Amino acid sequence: MKITAFSWIIITLAITAWVFILPVKAVATILVLQLVLLLYVKHNRMMLAAIGGLGVFTGMMVLLQMLFGSSLTVSLIGGLRMLVMTMAFLCMLSTTKIQDIAKTLVDRFHLPVEYAFMLTTALRFVPNFLEDSSVTLDAQSCRGYSNRSNALQHLLSYVVVIRPLVMRAVAKSETLALSMELKGFGANTYKNMPREPFTLWDLLALLVVVVLSSYPFWAKFFK
Amino acid sequence: MASVINFKDFYYAYINEKLVLRDINLTVEKGSFTVVIGPSGAGKTTLCKAITGIIPYYMGGSYAGDVEVLGESTKGKRVSDLSLKVGLMLEDYESQLVSLTAGEEVAFSLLNHGFPAEEVKERTSKALEDVGLPGREDYQLDELSGGQRQRLLLASVLAVHPEIIVLDEPVSAMDPDGAESLYKLLSKIHQEYGTTFVVVEHRVEFVLPYATNFIAVKDGQIAAAGTCEVVADQVYADPELRVLLPELWQVRGELAAKTGAHFSLWRKPADAVDELKAQGFEGGVQAHA
Repeated sequence: MKITAFSWIIITLAITAWVFILPVKAVATILVLQLVLLLYVKHNRMMLAAIGGLGVFTGMMVLLQMLFGSSLTVSLIGGLRMLVMTMAFLCMLSTTKIQDIAKTLVDRFHLPVEYAFMLTTALRFVPNFLEDSSVTLDAQSCRGYSNRSNALQHLLSYVVVIRPLVMRAVAKSETLALSMELKGFGANTYKNMPREPFTLWDLLALLVVVVLSSYPFWAKFFK
Repeated sequence: MASVINFKDFYYAYINEKLVLRDINLTVEKGSFTVVIGPSGAGKTTLCKAITGIIPYYMGGSYAGDVEVLGESTKGKRVSDLSLKVGLMLEDYESQLVSLTAGEEVAFSLLNHGFPAEEVKERTSKALEDVGLPGREDYQLDELSGGQRQRLLLASVLAVHPEIIVLDEPVSAMDPDGAESLYKLLSKIHQEYGTTFVVVEHRVEFVLPYATNFIAVKDGQIAAAGTCEVVADQVYADPELRVLLPELWQVRGELAAKTGAHFSLWRKPADAVDELKAQGFEGGVQAHA
């Protein structure tokens, strides 16, 4: 069962609408489905950490809402809505390749190529950036940088690591730009890639989207 | 032999800077394997960029004279159009890889230039095979080692089937074994496809067995250019550039100067040993490798 990036984007957008138009029980069901899907796709430490992180964040939002005088029920429902929305994005990212998402955004949603390319490039250079930062940290430690002080001083002194890191990233980005020019990067970049085949599963998924999104209408009609 | 690259009275300066290249008159012959040597800051990289049209089209700056590549001036040519004929691999290979998997990386420029999907697939697998990474289309970039990434970059240049390939220190991040095998690979491609190579290299001993021509650059000017025989003697005569020659040729020059004997151009230590023995030299030279 493989759903194209196009359907995933539609589903994710639809879910952000559903959390407001569907009854709370249905939203909770979606959450359960999302959890099942996520754990089915990957049940490693990272996935659990991601879900846990979202859970903690939701908890904070609930507390904040209560702090400002909402009742417990309202706060919990608000938290649930937020959790379902963010989990929808997590589902999309864990089931679809970022390249396919970028391609679909350009091809079907007419996003400018440059922005879509930022998505994939950012992901591509994360490991390099982490490596650079550890190298810079070592180099500055050799010159007397120390992070054993209070939090504020720590933050201020971290500038000596950030600055060379940024300079290095800028220098690298120039080579990257040149290399993209050499490789003919431009308006055609994503359009020439072969499209993913549209399967029966996509049709089914989009049908569900249509049915659930029109819930307010047929709910009124059948009452 | 026909020339594929032709510099005519070329001068160049980056924006708000002094002249980097001065009075460059140079031809590179079709099918040659040319090695560019020179001290750092002499303008070797700038020379490479001028061949691929990045200078002046992409970088700006001021220039005079003309560069002809494959019979056409690079003036006003778009870099991406020229890159179909002239492949360039810059020193910092890490920032030149733009995709997330090996297959996409090789396919990237082909797709941008509008090749049909089947041909892209075919060329991708062929190019990966050529550089010794067969069947690794789906590998993530961080699953590849530094040397493999450098090869991958080479594959992405090869896949376009350029007539000229320009490499700026392709083995800077490699250990001696890796460097040797990469040059073996380049020489295989050189012989198989008849591609013209221009290589900037500091560690000349790796390219020595394959080089057909040399260009020595000094202070933005061409100090010597031509076949190995011509350049070896000319460069040896300049004490500043002498150290850039392969060690074997430095020894050869010194011996020739001391004894007045004439030697052929050694490519491997074994050549030197054989010839020295044949000429009646004894002791002093130890055979190794």
